[in-house]
Amino acid sequence: MVTGGARAGAHKYLAVRAYLADLVTTELAVGDAIPSERSLTEKFGVSRMTVRQAIDALVTEGVLERAQGRGTFVAPPRADFEMRLTTFGEEARRRGLTPGATVLRCEELPAPAPVAEALDREVGTPVHHVVRLRTADGNPMSVEESWIPVDLAPDLLEDGVPDSLYAALRERGLDPSWGEELITAADGTPEELESLQMQTSRAVMRTARRTFGGDAAVMYSRASYRGDRYSVFVPLREARPTLVPRTRPAEPGAETGRPAQPGRIPEGSPR
Amino acid sequence: MSTPDPDAQLAASILAGLGGVENVEEIDPCTTRLRSLVKDPALVDAALLKRAGAFGVMINGRVVQVVVGPRVDTIASDLAELM
Repeated sequence: MVTGGARAGAHKYLAVRAYLADLVTTELAVGDAIPSERSLTEKFGVSRMTVRQAIDALVTEGVLERAQGRGTFVAPPRADFEMRLTTFGEEARRRGLTPGATVLRCEELPAPAPVAEALDREVGTPVHHVVRLRTADGNPMSVEESWIPVDLAPDLLEDGVPDSLYAALRERGLDPSWGEELITAADGTPEELESLQMQTSRAVMRTARRTFGGDAAVMYSRASYRGDRYSVFVPLREARPTLVPRTRPAEPGAETGRPAQPGRIPEGSPR
Repeated sequence: MSTPDPDAQLAASILAGLGGVENVEEIDPCTTRLRSLVKDPALVDAALLKRAGAFGVMINGRVVQVVVGPRVDTIASDLAELM
């Protein structure tokens, strides 16, 4: 809650910010310059600091972007990537963006413990390790690190890193069929911020994914996405009913097929 | 009676791994996991769950998550029968 003396200042800052946000959606196109700080100062009768605060907020949100020495411009829209078993390249292409990758590392190494566990292998099992900077239309979007057991695809990186690791797995009959991904918000490390060319915001979204092909773990990957460029889209559906044991004791074979009790969430349940 | 159904077998093994139906308070089937609340976590046999075919077992207090993948639907139905 904004109270007292702060309210007037906050109100002005919000007015400038709302004006700019509205301008971006109604009049300006991606890449257009926003009105100068001076003109906004005059238009709203506020200090230059208040104008900067409003612009900073929109830059942090990824609505605007600054170009050193040139001014502030309308940023490209956020990519709303759906959480599903696709690769960065596939998702980017479906959104009309041109995916790109810069290989930062490509090697074979003994699987460290967390990687080995995720891949259902012994610690030290040889794994391919690839680190790539992923770009969309040339803009850095994420730093992505992948591990694939060498025993599944010995020649995977023989001709360099394939454009799509999933496609390379499919070619070997290891079609990714399901997976699990964990998403965590974090401040990017200095290395990540540099790779992702992040100047204003430090917020990144970290993901860790196990990819399975049928019953086999085929790939483990971690990525850090720019928090100001990326949104996650998650389709939702109704939760399945919770299964609760029937009241005991029951005579053997007395009652079968009773439907499970739906939706009871006990106290102390972590979720 | 009939040929063994792998999903039903897995469901039975999962229940055993969770310490039997007597140890289960509830099981919440998610898209790829069974999130269960057990009475006594000491009765949970993670190794058995893994051997039975679970892709991962996470135990946190009385909450035991068993990763089973997209078969969760049929396994949940089989579990409902057994519980």
